[in-house]
Amino acid sequence: MVKVTFVEPNGTERHVSNAEEGQSLMEVGKANGIDGILADCGGACSCATCHVFVDPQWWERVGPPDEVEFAMLDMVADVAQDMSRLSCQVKINAQLDGLRVTVAPASDF
Amino acid sequence: MTSCPMSQEAKCPMSQEDQALLESGSMTDPIISARPRPYYAAMREHDPVHWDEKLGMYLISRYQDILTIQQDPITFSVNKGYHTQQAKGFQEEFQDILKRDGGGYFPDAIMSDPPYHTRIRKLMENAFTAHRVKELEPRITKVVADLIDSIADTGAADAIHDFSVPLTIRIICEQLGLDWDIKDRIQRWSIAVTAQIGRMQDREQMVAHAREICELQQYLIGKMKERKDDPREDMISDLVHAKIQTDDGTVETLTFEEAVSLVRALLIAGNETTATALGNLFYILATQPEIAQLLKDSVDDDRLLNRFVEELLRIEPPVRGLSRMTTREVELGGKTLPAGAHLLLMYASANDQADVFPEPRSFDINRPNIGRHVSFGGGVHRCVGLALARMEIKVAAREIVRRMDNIRLAIPVEDITYLPTVATQSIERLPITFTRR
Ligand code: HEM
Ligand code: FES
Repeated sequence: MVKVTFVEPNGTERHVSNAEEGQSLMEVGKANGIDGILADCGGACSCATCHVFVDPQWWERVGPPDEVEFAMLDMVADVAQDMSRLSCQVKINAQLDGLRVTVAPASDF
Repeated sequence: MTSCPMSQEAKCPMSQEDQALLESGSMTDPIISARPRPYYAAMREHDPVHWDEKLGMYLISRYQDILTIQQDPITFSVNKGYHTQQAKGFQEEFQDILKRDGGGYFPDAIMSDPPYHTRIRKLMENAFTAHRVKELEPRITKVVADLIDSIADTGAADAIHDFSVPLTIRIICEQLGLDWDIKDRIQRWSIAVTAQIGRMQDREQMVAHAREICELQQYLIGKMKERKDDPREDMISDLVHAKIQTDDGTVETLTFEEAVSLVRALLIAGNETTATALGNLFYILATQPEIAQLLKDSVDDDRLLNRFVEELLRIEPPVRGLSRMTTREVELGGKTLPAGAHLLLMYASANDQADVFPEPRSFDINRPNIGRHVSFGGGVHRCVGLALARMEIKVAAREIVRRMDNIRLAIPVEDITYLPTVATQSIERLPITFTRR
């Protein structure tokens, strides 16, 4: 089991300790009812409703998005940041124990 | 909410035109249906949850209200909204025909509500991930390039019948693993299936359409049995053999009935919508030369092309209105709706809302929130084929501008007609002229 902290869009910190290796970060968020992780497309990398900002300290271990994910993040450039990732594309592994991410707000309008 | 919000195009207080539109207009009016934007604007401004008496549905026109509905799929039921429409007036007879001659009556498994819907979606999603779609791109590019090459020298064509429809059918056949020689039947089958929710057929037409659906089902059942024993690299095989592991470790599969209904749904959902989007692409290229130029300039930049496609989908959404039914009394946009209220979500109107998309009628590929349009719906029912659709449109856009130039309408713009349906805004015929590039 791996621990992850999600900061929900309204600032609430949610500490979960039941993340399993091989799960995606999105699945962990959904399983724990994290606010703002909607995951409309079910992890197909095509909706950007599982968008998180990775804590700078963790960025290197999480790594950057690939080309397909980058294209999707560009569609929500209104809220995207340098350390944006789609959580369905981040696989949990032991290295990520303690990971901290902030859930992106849905829209800025 | 302020008393006089948004939409620059509409005036506040209510103009006489708006008042007349709201009092006597209807989505069933062919003139409004073909040019609906003033009607949308009047609704957004003055009556965002508007009762359309002739259609017998509430029209939901504002972005926020559509988002609210999408986030609550239990209160706003797709299952009830869809299956209430199906063969309305002749439901029993319709089902009997399919049971007798069509191998069975298979309710649409995907047109359902959670938690059942969640299971069905999971079983479909693997076939449609953006990464899988990316792998298909070279094959689809070849199909598209061949088709364009076959018409590019002719100088004139109907963009719908000579290009958009055959192209989409060819791709869907590739995708699903259907034989190319059924291409003419697919168009008929599509019409028969969509007519069941179009609310415009009499009994005789219903029976004729039901026969087509029987033929469609018999064909699909045959293919599915083949793939069961002999899986290939296609979506029929994916669905027939789809498996997911649930949290408690049990392995779930689709029943044969469910799989038939899903292959049928994919065939239809992926066909009309994408063909409509391609028709819209030609329409824009033919009527707005500066956008054709923009596409030419963007053609080697994948990021710009993706944005081009997204903006095309926002500004001309193929699917403009889909239905829901309330399962309880609920407040929406300042109105109280009873249980059993039939709603039409006006996706095309939400995309035109000026406080979400400033200057909504200008084609702007630099919008920061370009992906926030609702042309693919949203929430748990968000289009499952969206990555595929985006890729098809992108490839078509790229290969068209590489091979064709000076695309122009061959008829006056006022003469363009649309299919008579509230669900999509689909150009019927689009005669164009062009040169080879
Ligand atoms: C430009 C092309 C397309 C557009 C504009 C489009 C639009 C939509 C929209 C608006 C919905 C939401 C339905 C609702 O709100 O009730 C939807 C759902 C769906 N679409 Fe698409 N679609 C397109 C292409 C495709 C393709 C290529 C496929 C499959 C091959 C597909 C399969 C589906 C399915 C199965 C659903 C139902 C999903 C569910 O309810 O969970 N669509 N589509
Ligand atoms: S769940 Fe849709 S992009 Fe991650």
